[in-house]
Amino acid sequence: MISFQLTEEQKLAQSMVQELAISQLRPAARGADDREAIPSSILDEIWATGIIQSQGESGSYSPTLNALLLEELAVADAAFAIAAAAPIGFLGAVATQGSPAQKKNLLPLFAGDKYRCAGVAIMEPDFAFDVSSIRTSAIKTRDGYRLSGLKGLVPLAGSCSHFIVVAQCDGAADAFIVDRNTRGVTVGEKKPNIGLRALEMATVSFKDVELSSSARLGENAGCDAQRIVDSARTALSAIMTGTSRAVMEFVMPYTKERVVHGDALAKKQTIAFRLADMRIETDAMRWMTWKAASIIEQGGNATRQAHLAYTYCGENAMWIADEGVQMLGGHGYLRDNPVEMWYRDTRTVSVLEGAVGV
Amino acid sequence: MIDFQLTAADEKVLSSAHEQAIIGRRYARYYDKHEDELEPAEFPEAKDLPNPITLAEEGLSGSSGTRILHSLVMLEIYWGGIALHRSKWGLGNTVLKTVATPEQFEKWKNHTIAIAITEPGAGSDPANIRTTATFDRETGEWILNGEKIFISQAQSGDAAMVLSRFIAPDGSRGMTTFIVEKGTPGFTVGPQLRKLGIRSHDTCNLLFENCRIPEFNHIKGDFKSTMSVFNDSRPMVGAMALGVARAALDFTREKLAERGIKVSYRGGMRSRSAVVDRFIRLEAIYEAALLTVLRSKWLEQQAVPPKVEASIAKAAGGKAARKITQGCIDLLGPEALSEDHPLDRCFRDGRIFDIYEGTGEIQRLIIARSILGYTGRDLR
Repeated sequence: MISFQLTEEQKLAQSMVQELAISQLRPAARGADDREAIPSSILDEIWATGIIQSQGESGSYSPTLNALLLEELAVADAAFAIAAAAPIGFLGAVATQGSPAQKKNLLPLFAGDKYRCAGVAIMEPDFAFDVSSIRTSAIKTRDGYRLSGLKGLVPLAGSCSHFIVVAQCDGAADAFIVDRNTRGVTVGEKKPNIGLRALEMATVSFKDVELSSSARLGENAGCDAQRIVDSARTALSAIMTGTSRAVMEFVMPYTKERVVHGDALAKKQTIAFRLADMRIETDAMRWMTWKAASIIEQGGNATRQAHLAYTYCGENAMWIADEGVQMLGGHGYLRDNPVEMWYRDTRTVSVLEGAVGV
Repeated sequence: MIDFQLTAADEKVLSSAHEQAIIGRRYARYYDKHEDELEPAEFPEAKDLPNPITLAEEGLSGSSGTRILHSLVMLEIYWGGIALHRSKWGLGNTVLKTVATPEQFEKWKNHTIAIAITEPGAGSDPANIRTTATFDRETGEWILNGEKIFISQAQSGDAAMVLSRFIAPDGSRGMTTFIVEKGTPGFTVGPQLRKLGIRSHDTCNLLFENCRIPEFNHIKGDFKSTMSVFNDSRPMVGAMALGVARAALDFTREKLAERGIKVSYRGGMRSRSAVVDRFIRLEAIYEAALLTVLRSKWLEQQAVPPKVEASIAKAAGGKAARKITQGCIDLLGPEALSEDHPLDRCFRDGRIFDIYEGTGEIQRLIIARSILGYTGRDLR
């Protein structure tokens, strides 16, 4: 039944995260970008809300709730939102596709009261990379698999205890749970990118990593690697919706105050109409994200919807961030204002594939 | 709970609407070519078929709600191009229902009432209308003079709800509505307008020359209450736009598939051709706009009168129909131009939705005023 109704529980969680985002996270965003690191106190604050680890508890996994909350986190900062979405993606994949033993062994590791990172590694450091042509390979051996390849742009790679690595195996995409301390796993130096600079993204190399057969996500039953991609695209859509909202909410008061040729900028149709378009598109982006998330939550095939959401959000989030900078003119170009950071972050988020989940 | 799945009850109504749309489509080209002919109130094929709009509005149990379902039925009808059951109601009926006295309602409740607002010099700014009614003390009648243009259901309707200025006997002035029945001396309906598309859509100009109207026909809708009928109709126009857009997308997908071009959503943009990438982007525009329509309709069902959301749905639907119908022709190339195929009609029909019932620009004015906290004076 078509409904946009949030449950009481969802509303409560949303307002709790909203409050944290405004009071703690937004004020820390610029500093984290400058220092290219997220303070551990910020990660622990997000962890303390329980929104990440609860996704590993039985029966609590909820992509629609995650979509709602990731949007709120991203209104404060996209890098912080991805720091939450990375372990959510990991926990979600294990909780929905892991074998009973994998769930039993891995999920309790996330029950502590300090932020713990684990991530999904899909992207590869290669121009023209596409999620449909993964080059990392897993070859069947006598006792399990031998994993080889490079994964790029892994968020907080240095702090991850585990990775879910998507690799080609027997001609199809498959996923493997890899402990970062396994021999042959090397986390590279963190390298700054255009945006999401606080996220300490790095390349992780897997050189002839010997994995037992129990490392395969789902073990004998295997997994549907496309679901991990669908979930990631949905999470990224939620995050782009949040950043777009941040831009819109920031430029509106500015254009009302700023007087040009005798009138507030916002009273000129060329500006007002573009603000209206920002509102139209952020609404549409949110509903696209919700729809994809709800299909995932109900166990349906969300590939089409997640892809459409991700494509739509990517295009429109970039447009909104671009217009945000433009509406502030020279001030938009200064690092004194957040719009230049959102512009960089949006360019980054809208080309990512994987790394997160709802 | 957030959910976007149609229920079994929704599916039942929509599949009936779709079956009828397939029949309606057979007539689409005929009425595109014969714009002076009104289609029958009911096509022979529809004799034993229920009107899907009536089904949607019956509020059958287990549906996603009457408003949502009605909008989705409209989408199906516009996918086909011709409704097998002509609509009995015009927007004038909505004004009658909301502002008339019980006696007035009783008299005209079964009439099809067009709404007449736009004038040669007042389209997007209806506050500029010049049609004026003066009161004749001797006969107790109103005398109406003016011209209304682009009036839907002008020929098929029984009466028009006319937005007019008035000068009362005490000299006071303002804006009000009168119901003017067909056949009233001084009331002339012009010929069908010659349009780019939606040629089956009954559209004429109306002329009022010293047209005498009894006081009982004074419905007393003011400017605000008259314009508020569009809160409901705007997202509906968005749904209609998306019906035409989906017809274009469906045809394009089918023709691409016949040439071995399959649309896959698994990979990213670097895994596919430019044609498939473009198709997916058009499809995303369709989905996004449809969700804004559903959002607006869902809010109506929650008894939260949507205003910004109604305008968002209209603006998104109108833009989607333009982009998608233009884009699909690009994807299929020169053969898509032929009248042997439906795209030329989709392209022409699809252009209206961002114009009538408030252009995309007017929707953006409404949205911008609302989100910025501006009045109509602040932001013109």
